[in-house]
Amino acid sequence: MDWEKEIQKLKVCDFEELPGPKSKEELEEMKMPFEDYCKRVFDPGNEFVKPEALKGIRWMSTTMYIFTPHSVANLAELGAECIKIEMPRMGDPMRHTSPFNEAYLYPLHDTRPMTGTGLGFTNANVNEYFITLDYHVPEAKPIFYNLVKMSDGLTECYRHGTFDRWKQGYRHVMEINPRFIYVWGGGFGYGPKIFGGSYDILGQAHAGLASITGCHEDMGGHATKATNWVIDWYSGTQITVAILAALYWRGKTGLGTMIEFSQVQAATRMMGYAAPLYGRFGIVRQRWGNWDTQLCVHGIIMTGKVDFPDAQNPQDRFESRYVMVSAFQDADFQELCNVIKKPDLYSRYKTHKERVGAPAQIEIYKAIEDWAADKTRSEVVRILREAGILAAPVMNDREVYECEHYRLRGTVRWNDDPLFGDILIHSGYSTGLMSKTPRRHRWQWRPVGADNVKIYHELLGYPMSKIQELYDKNII
Amino acid sequence: MCDIIWCKKDLGDGKVCDTVNYLDPYCFWNWEGKVACAHCGTVYYIHMIQGHMYAGPDEKPGEKPDIYPLYADQPNNGYFNYLPGIEGRTRPYTCLPRHIYLGKADMVKFSIRGRPVRGWRPQPPSAGIAGSQGFFWDIEKLSPEVWEEYQERIRKGEVKDW
Amino acid sequence: MAKERREIEINSRADTLPLMGPDVRPWPVTPPPSPEECMKVYEKRKAGEFGKFLEDNLRLDYVFEKPEALQGLRVLCNGIWHISRMFATSLLAEQGAEAIHIEPPTGDPLRQLTPFGREEYMLKDNVTGEPCGLDFLHEFRNAYSITLNLETPEGREIYKKLAMLVDVIIESWPPGYMDSLGIGYRQLSKLNPKLVYCWVGERGQWGPMKDEVSKFGQWMLDPFSACANSWVHNTGFPPDQCPRGGKGGDPMRSGAWLPSYVCGEQAAASILAALYWRDFNGGGEGQFIEVTAAESLMDILDFDITWYGFNASIKARTGAWDPNLNQYEWNPCKDGYMMIGGQTDRLWYRIGMCIERDLPLFGRLIHEDPLLKEMAARNALQALIKTYTVTTKWLRDINRIEAEQKLMEYEIAAGPVLYIDEVAEFPHFKYRPWVNTKETQFYGTVMYSESCGAFQHRTPARVKDLGRPLGYDNGEVYKKYLGYGPMKLRELKAKGVI
Repeated sequence: MDWEKEIQKLKVCDFEELPGPKSKEELEEMKMPFEDYCKRVFDPGNEFVKPEALKGIRWMSTTMYIFTPHSVANLAELGAECIKIEMPRMGDPMRHTSPFNEAYLYPLHDTRPMTGTGLGFTNANVNEYFITLDYHVPEAKPIFYNLVKMSDGLTECYRHGTFDRWKQGYRHVMEINPRFIYVWGGGFGYGPKIFGGSYDILGQAHAGLASITGCHEDMGGHATKATNWVIDWYSGTQITVAILAALYWRGKTGLGTMIEFSQVQAATRMMGYAAPLYGRFGIVRQRWGNWDTQLCVHGIIMTGKVDFPDAQNPQDRFESRYVMVSAFQDADFQELCNVIKKPDLYSRYKTHKERVGAPAQIEIYKAIEDWAADKTRSEVVRILREAGILAAPVMNDREVYECEHYRLRGTVRWNDDPLFGDILIHSGYSTGLMSKTPRRHRWQWRPVGADNVKIYHELLGYPMSKIQELYDKNII
Repeated sequence: MCDIIWCKKDLGDGKVCDTVNYLDPYCFWNWEGKVACAHCGTVYYIHMIQGHMYAGPDEKPGEKPDIYPLYADQPNNGYFNYLPGIEGRTRPYTCLPRHIYLGKADMVKFSIRGRPVRGWRPQPPSAGIAGSQGFFWDIEKLSPEVWEEYQERIRKGEVKDW
Repeated sequence: MAKERREIEINSRADTLPLMGPDVRPWPVTPPPSPEECMKVYEKRKAGEFGKFLEDNLRLDYVFEKPEALQGLRVLCNGIWHISRMFATSLLAEQGAEAIHIEPPTGDPLRQLTPFGREEYMLKDNVTGEPCGLDFLHEFRNAYSITLNLETPEGREIYKKLAMLVDVIIESWPPGYMDSLGIGYRQLSKLNPKLVYCWVGERGQWGPMKDEVSKFGQWMLDPFSACANSWVHNTGFPPDQCPRGGKGGDPMRSGAWLPSYVCGEQAAASILAALYWRDFNGGGEGQFIEVTAAESLMDILDFDITWYGFNASIKARTGAWDPNLNQYEWNPCKDGYMMIGGQTDRLWYRIGMCIERDLPLFGRLIHEDPLLKEMAARNALQALIKTYTVTTKWLRDINRIEAEQKLMEYEIAAGPVLYIDEVAEFPHFKYRPWVNTKETQFYGTVMYSESCGAFQHRTPARVKDLGRPLGYDNGEVYKKYLGYGPMKLRELKAKGVI
């Protein structure tokens, strides 16, 4: 007799199938305020007790600079084991960049005691293992192939065709490992400019983003560069999206693929209406400064006074004077006009269509700035917020560091780096909170070749004497 | 001469100023006014249109300058130079990240909250075979003097959480 | 090239509108380079065979002959205003997921946005004749449009049923709003434990600086995010290069909705990672994800906040120059701006040799300077000023194309600052093509930015269609998912539920 079945028959109803909470904890969870609930499920600071989304994936990073490395750093933060391969003794050129040459962490490598890794290298290669290998020499080939056999994929950034010429391109590795996902990231890809080199800034310039960022030339402005290497980082993440989609498909079919990703294209992708507007009407989108072409009021204004006139740091002392103001809906705009004592502005620009026109915008923002001319940034923000209007200060790095919001959410935090000590981090955790498989930050980077023994000996099984020999011959 | 002014002012005693004043493109691309040589203070009138010197540089003795170059140097005098922000010589570059400007590596031993960070050189060698490194910075052994200073800071309560 | 002469008279902007458009002036204006010309380029570096392999396997022409990576996944996108939610959905839909946009019956207000309020720049669909703004249209990719009023109890019940049938929900309502309606992650995950639920917004759905709604009901939109993470503070020209006060010398927002795009892509990455874990890495269950534009953009602020922790530096804006690399900037030239990049000795001296050929003074002042010999030392501020001043002395005499040709001879990464019309006609762009046109189902021929994931060997991303009249797919989606027929839909419509 199947007792299980008999008992089931006796049941009038199944408690588990009834709607509503099943336990006291669940009841509490359903009742607690939403914010507390979020804090509890995301639980910033306790990421390491949760599983890793990409555990078991191994990725090779034969990359330089920011763009392609970032595509791998995203994977490493999500739990993949990533191996960064650099040129012996030299390392990634990005290690040699630092703002105004001022900020470095040491050592880079024991043989170069006076050289450090510049902060320019930050965040692009977190959690990875760092090995060295000079692909140019024939002895490197079997080493490279062995790594390919043991890995799920690779990201590279060399000039198109270089890896192919060295017999380590997609056409070769797919023979060795058909599950392999091969990523080439660069500026252009196949086509007339295939061999054109690329950088973040080239993407910003070439793809049109710079042409729409900054003040209009009629107002004295220039095409403005985003200070940060945004197109590098942003394109790198889109590679990660492509990799994850390919991994998902591989999960179903077992087949690898090749992704050719061009960062110059990615910059155009974010330009919104620019392409359709040009294609249909021949109108070329121009710069519109700190205002918005489609919403008004929705822009950044300058106040007459700074918040910290006595601060030592010039950024606090001179720049703490910008406010983001947003009041584009009718009621908000009406209230804003009342606050700045220009009710006539509202009577003239009652509809959004009227006030978003270019001459109206010029007049309206001028009126707001005139009103703010004798006020500090914090006064302007306070007055507007008290009136129920959306306003926020333009924050600087210090203010972001000191901001309770990010601290509570764990998106700005200190890390006790295993080799470099006390490092403030603002990456990884900030890409998004995940309740069950959160990202994590282990270490920022490691010295050039720091994991040569770990990978070559422990993974590939080379005897220690062989490793020493390869090192002496400058192959690793 | 155009977007540099290579000042050849005779300073007397057979000496020539021989200073290159760099007129940075974004400020001077379209610009009219008087700019002073960073070294000898000679005032030049210039009128630049689209980066070209439409008029000048013409010496304007006795007149006050409107502006200074950001940087100037003397290639024929051992590259003696004037960094940005020297009063009466160069214009300040108003967007510096700190009140001090080094232009070379800042030797940092402690983060802003007072805990050790490896921002100084040289570091004692610490690698094993083929440059390999472990996952533990043995500061007490490798840099005992910094470790000592850290203990001192802890005692003084200078080490903070944020 | 225009094939025939046209008599035209232009008295106002309105007169110019009929002069363009895909029927009068098809894109591209001049034909793209031919594959044969490209083969010559490949051959130049002895990569002919490899180039042919790429062309044979990656060309955009073949995408519809290949399978889709995310086929079978269902994504529900629920919200208004934020373009981040749309971009996240697009990235998944371009990879083959079935995407449905839920809008309130009044529609997403983004549909109404158009530059400077000019309705003549909106496109009318061929079903309802309703005008649609181009930002919305451009980001509405490969998706269905349905309407649902979540403020009605019946609407919420329908939403719950849909939530049980999908893999992913991307949501962008104000903090806690869906939860307060009883249809947030907390409630839906009980109904569908495999659901991956992602909230996107500006600053957060919890915490002291979470997203706000004004007293009058207005949402907080991009670029509030970029003001909250020092991005705006760090971007723009310093006031001694351009004057403050709207004349170029202020901190600067991006002209694009850049923070939203960064937020959207990280949302897509986290969602895909969650799906991978759910389906292939033993997870088995869904999860709650929250991605904000402020934080995901902060993730990519280079080293900026880290730098503050190092020695209390607060990053400043440096215009079109990069404070970390030399050369790495754009400077004015005869007809616009020219970008030049090359930092290692090998590249830096090559740039110099190219310039010195026309301007010997460059060698005297730059190459001979001992203070510029070392790569790291060249990043010092004075080194940037010096190098770029003399570089611009060369650039002022040549236009962008000349500069690019000269620098390409030395294999330097260099490119002009291009406007969208120039982008659309740039040979490489139209060869790929990256700016492309499509005969859409509802809006005629639309020019758009091509999917970046489209150049892939086995499962390329693709754009199938752009834009959708509001609620066009109510019939299909409600029938397919919930079995509702036309009579039921009429009833729901009458009650204001859909």
